[in-house]
Order: sequence, then structure tokens, then C-alpha cells
Amino acid sequence: MKTYNFPFRKLLLILICLLLLTGCWNSRELDELGIVVTLGIDKTDEGDYILSVQVINPSEIATDAPTSRPPVSTYTTTGRTLMEAFRRLTAKNPRTTYLSQLRLVILGKTVAEEGVMPVLDLLYRDHEFRTSFYVTVAKNAPVESMLSIITPYEKIPANKIMSSIENVERHWAATKGVSIDKVIASIRNPGEDPVMSGILLLGEEDIGTNISNVENVDAPTKLEIDEIGVFKGDKLVGWLNELESQGLNYATGNVHSTVITHPCQDEGSLSVELLRTSGAMKGKIKNNQPVIDIKVEAEGNVGEVDCKVDLSKPEALEKVNKQAEKAIKESIEATLAKAQKEYGSDVFGFGGVIHRDQPKYWKKVEKEWSSYYQDVEVNIDATVKIRRKGNSTQPINKES
Amino acid sequence: MDNQTISARQYMFLVIFFIIGSSILIVPTPLAAQGKQDAWMSVILSILFGVVLVMFLNKIGSLSSGKTFVQAAIFVFGNWAGRLFCIFYLSFLYILASLVLRNIGDFMTTQIIPETPLQFTHTLFLLVIIGGTYLGIEAIARSSEIFMPWMVILLIFLTISMMPQINVDQLKPILGNGVLPVINSSSIVIGTPLLEMAALLMIFPYVKEERKAKHAWILGTIIGGGVLFLITTLCLLVLGSDLTALNAYPTYRIGQKINIAGFLEGLEIIIAIIWMLTIFFKLIILYYATSVGIAQFLTMKDHRPLLLPLGMGMVVLSIIAYPDVAYFETFVGEVWLSYSLTHGLILPAILMIGLLIKKRVSGS
Repeated sequence: MKTYNFPFRKLLLILICLLLLTGCWNSRELDELGIVVTLGIDKTDEGDYILSVQVINPSEIATDAPTSRPPVSTYTTTGRTLMEAFRRLTAKNPRTTYLSQLRLVILGKTVAEEGVMPVLDLLYRDHEFRTSFYVTVAKNAPVESMLSIITPYEKIPANKIMSSIENVERHWAATKGVSIDKVIASIRNPGEDPVMSGILLLGEEDIGTNISNVENVDAPTKLEIDEIGVFKGDKLVGWLNELESQGLNYATGNVHSTVITHPCQDEGSLSVELLRTSGAMKGKIKNNQPVIDIKVEAEGNVGEVDCKVDLSKPEALEKVNKQAEKAIKESIEATLAKAQKEYGSDVFGFGGVIHRDQPKYWKKVEKEWSSYYQDVEVNIDATVKIRRKGNSTQPINKES
Repeated sequence: MDNQTISARQYMFLVIFFIIGSSILIVPTPLAAQGKQDAWMSVILSILFGVVLVMFLNKIGSLSSGKTFVQAAIFVFGNWAGRLFCIFYLSFLYILASLVLRNIGDFMTTQIIPETPLQFTHTLFLLVIIGGTYLGIEAIARSSEIFMPWMVILLIFLTISMMPQINVDQLKPILGNGVLPVINSSSIVIGTPLLEMAALLMIFPYVKEERKAKHAWILGTIIGGGVLFLITTLCLLVLGSDLTALNAYPTYRIGQKINIAGFLEGLEIIIAIIWMLTIFFKLIILYYATSVGIAQFLTMKDHRPLLLPLGMGMVVLSIIAYPDVAYFETFVGEVWLSYSLTHGLILPAILMIGLLIKKRVSGS
């Protein structure tokens, strides 16, 4: 092999490196980015989109000596599409929006009731969005005001809401954090309807937007995670309350840990702490009608006792088991009454269960599933096993 | 061309990279669109087809006794007819190479650097390819040995970190739409990349021991197909068939979903590294095959003077090859299978018949 000996070969190489190593074409420095943590989306009466973005104020987050400036700023604008609104934001926001760190999307009530599919397209198509954010619905206030509240404890409100959702899911099971791909998949699936967490604004909005809101120990204005919003297709049709939300999570196997309280025989009540639960659904056909069997299995401890019961006897614990089972059944039944009978929304994914277990039958009913859905017969079977009762062997108020 | 040789193991690595490269990007979407939740079965079907195909290509390799596809074609069909035959084969390789280049360019532009013009991505990528091809097949094969562990580690990492998000229900009902969609959609993997393996006939003669090379080829096809199977199944298990079909790059999407203990997030670029590596090898194999093929076609002693001009042509061809991604999707869906079938199966079959006749004539 002949080597070509060119004069200044090394110099040429260095020059080429200089050209290539200057950096990325698309490079954007951190101090040019407006890092968006929350997006609020709603619709005006004319049908335009209202887009609110909450960007973090990095110097305020990172500093050791906080100033009186708020840790986040919110900008709002409108547009015929979301994309247009995003670009129009440049007129207000000095930095270009950077969306990869997005934590939370709050959809306004109007947009949720008119259908969320159109707004999800951009969030799924654009390359800057990851899928690791939660999609939620603003329950009782306009989205812009939700995004203007300064929250205590967590400087960035989006982080507060996100960790609240996760905590509620993990310890109380009364909500469900859903990511965008879950929402899109369940809207597109004829055998399932989506749900989303709701967000509540408590207190006066005017106080909440001011930094003095967090100067109080008990902040007067707060954001709270509400229960679950029920959709039919991509339209919001109603809300589940606490009990019904737990029922939904029991049936879909989404309960990590929760508490069941039931009254005692004479007075007082007893709380059971569930530590492990599993929920499974099976589809059958009976008399040419779809039937769903829900099976919930749970394991737990006696958590708190305020009644006269002899906990040293196995029969007593057996009785607690039975009552907890009954409570789980009741909560699932409550959910069924609301979601299935009242709203006609397949939040459990019964259609998907039938599709998986009875594909032939599903082929026939797929097109008009929503008319079959309300007549689906559901059998619930719950088993609870209490294993331990904590540090005390007996209720402390037991007389004897 | 030059007297370089590679070992059977290196050849197997090249086959694996060749199969994974670019298919890992573009195959899961149409597979899930057609095969739905049974798409994984059609990958298995197509691997079976791939093994049969490789046995057939192996046969050609041993019949042409140390000659590359181009040399064998000229040897069998004579100077003029043989060269006409080769024009089809070489143009197939060249067009395929520019499409592969465009695949990586499109991906980079869609997902990572949307404002950088395609020419620059393509030129930079090709510069490395030209550098590698200049050094010859030995250097290419050795670098495949260096990079194979990386790809394996990254794949294992991806699989393990996706485990918590797997939902087995996404694969049910098994065969819910019958067997037909499974068979139909297996044609996707057969078109890209299995039939493209005819390009490897340009490298096959460089492998030291022919008998081992045959085994390596079959094993490489099974392993490469296995990786495609793994990736497709992961997409289905995590995203479900509907979202896999909706995403342009579903493997990248599952990379975005990696979340280890809440702080290791945004690792999708790791997936992109697998693609870059595999596409690099696929492209370099195709590029080497094309340039060596053209050199043999022109009876040149050295393929190296061809590298730069071919590269300039390829940057242009890759950009004008298709105007937009919708055109590409239609092209891959409707045209590609018949194109790769004629050039990846029928051309080699004609060559094989020619070789057999020639052998009989000279033998008697």
C-alpha cells in the first residue's frame, strides 16, 4: 500500500479537527433554556388553545441565599394549535422552552370535556417530549391559576404534585398517575377507557400566586391531588370519589398499600393496613353474554384498634379478614355502579380482558362494545389475610 | 482484492451487525402494524426462512470457489453478459447503502438534531466509513470484534431495565387474528434485512476456512434474527402493538421509558448507540462490497481510488433517494420486497444455475 506524503499533513489534520470539534449545530446552552416543568392546556370559548407553561428559575433553585423572586414563572398565550401557541410564547418568554424535563401536564376542564386527543398529538409527536410525565385534569379552577400557585415545602410545584401523586398511589391507592402513552393507548383501544388524576386548588387564588403564601407555616392556598377523573373515549364524563377510586385500583391490581377501616361490633373502629395486594380479571362467556371475574388477594396487618375485641383469638382475626374482604368488595361494587352503570366508561378495561381471553367473541362485539359493556356481569372475589398485629398483642383499651 | 483474510468468528460478527443494522430502527413499526400482538412470531418465521436462504447462499459461495459474486458472474457469463449481470447487483448494493445512510440521517434529524441539515450528518458518517473501507476488510472485521461486546452489554442493559415495565397481557390473545397476518408480516423481516444478505457474497471469499464460514453465517443469522426478535418483543411487551405501530422509532421510545430508581432516566441515547454501531457496520459492509465490486468490474488492482467519488455520489443519492418519510414508508411497504427479492434471491439463483452448468461442462 502506497502512502501519500503530503506536505503539512499534520497541520491539515489539525485544521480539520478544528472544524469538526467546534460543537453541535443544534447546541443550546443551559443559560439559554427555559426549562419547562408543567404545561397547562385549555380552550377558549372560540375554540383556540390556551397554553400555560411553568418554567423554573434556575438561579433561584440553585442558590443558597434565596431572594424574593419566585422559583418558577408562568407564561400564558393562545393559539389555534398548541404548536402555534408554543412559538407565540417566544414573545413573552425570554428563553426558548425546553421540554425534556417536563413533569406534569394539567388539562383544563373545557379541553377535557371536549376531547383530549387533539392536544396529545403534539406531546407524543415532538421529539423534545419524553413520556415520563403525568397527565392530569384541573378539577375546580382554570389551568392558568393552578400554574400560578406557589407551593410550600417543594420549591417547584410540579415536583410537589408529581410526588404527591406517587405517594397517594403507593400508600393510599386513591388515585392513579398515568403517563401519556397509557392515555393514548387506552383511548385508541376500543376495550378500555382512560382515567386521570384530578388536581384541586384549595384556598384563595390571589393569595396563592404571591410568594407570601409560603411564608406561612400553614400555607393558605394549596394544590391537592383529587381522586380519579373518568373518561369515555377521550372526553371527561365524571369523577370517582375516594372509595370508588380505590375500588378501581383494587380491581386493576394497582394497589400497593392502603388502609381499610370498618366499624367494630359495638363501638369504635378498626383499621387494617394492606401491604401486598394483587388484582386479576378473567373473561368468560355465559349464555352468550360476557362475564368478568375479578379476583383480589391481599395481605396485611392490624393497624389500629379502637374497640373491644380479643385479638389473641384466631376467630377474631378471621372476622377482621371477612370484614376487610367485604370492604374491598363494596368499594369495587361502588366503582362499578358509577363507572359502568352511570357513566358507561370502561375504566377497568373489561373489553381488553374479553379480547385477551375470548378473542372469538370479541371479534363479534368489538364494534359495539360500549352497548354490551353496561350489561357485563361481574363477579368479585376478595381474599384478605391478616398476618400480624404490630407491637401490641391486645387493644390498649381492652377491659379485663 | 488484496490478500486480506478474516476469521470465521469475525465473519459471524459482521453477519450479526449486518442483520441488526437499520432493521432494528425500521422493522418493529410495520411488523406491529401488520402482525399486531403476534408480530414476534413472524420474526421467528422469518429467521427460519433466513436459515434456508443462508444455506442457499452458502452453496453459491462454495460453488464459486474463492471468487466474489462479481468475479464469479464474469467468470460464468463472460465479459459482456457477466458485466451486465453485475450492474444490477452492484446498483442494488449502492442504492441499499444510500438508503441505510438515509435511515440513520432521518433518525438523527427526527430525534436528536432536528436543525442540522442531512448533508452534514451524512458526510460525517460517511467519512468514517470511507476511512474504514480504506483500511480494508481485516480492519473492519477486527473493529467488529471490539464493538460486539459493547452492543451485547447495551442490549442486556436495555432488556433488564425494561423488565419492570413489561406487561405480558400485551401479547394476548395469541394468534387472535389467525395465522395469516403472521405469515404476511414475516415478509417484512425477509425483505429487510434477510434478502439483503446477498451483499455478503462479496465478503464470503475472504473468510479463511470455508466450512467454518458456512456455519458462522448460519449462526450469525440466527443470533442477529434473535436480537430483532428480542427488540420487537420488548416493544410489544412494553408499548403494546398499537403504540408500537404508532411510533416511528418504537425502540427509542422504550429507551425513554427506562427509569431506574427514579434517578437514572433519559437513557434513550444508549439505544441510539446500539443503532449507530450496527448501522455503521452494515453501511461499511455494503460500502466495501460496492467499491470492491466496482473495482473488480473494472478490473482495477485497487479499490481505494474509488472510495471518495463513490462517497460523494452516495451523499447526493441518499438525499434525493426519497423526498419525504411518507414516500419512504410507501416504498418500503410496497416496493422493497419485490426489489430485494429480484436482486437478493433471483440474481443469486441465476448465478448458481450458471455455476452448476459451468461446473458440469468443464467437468465432462
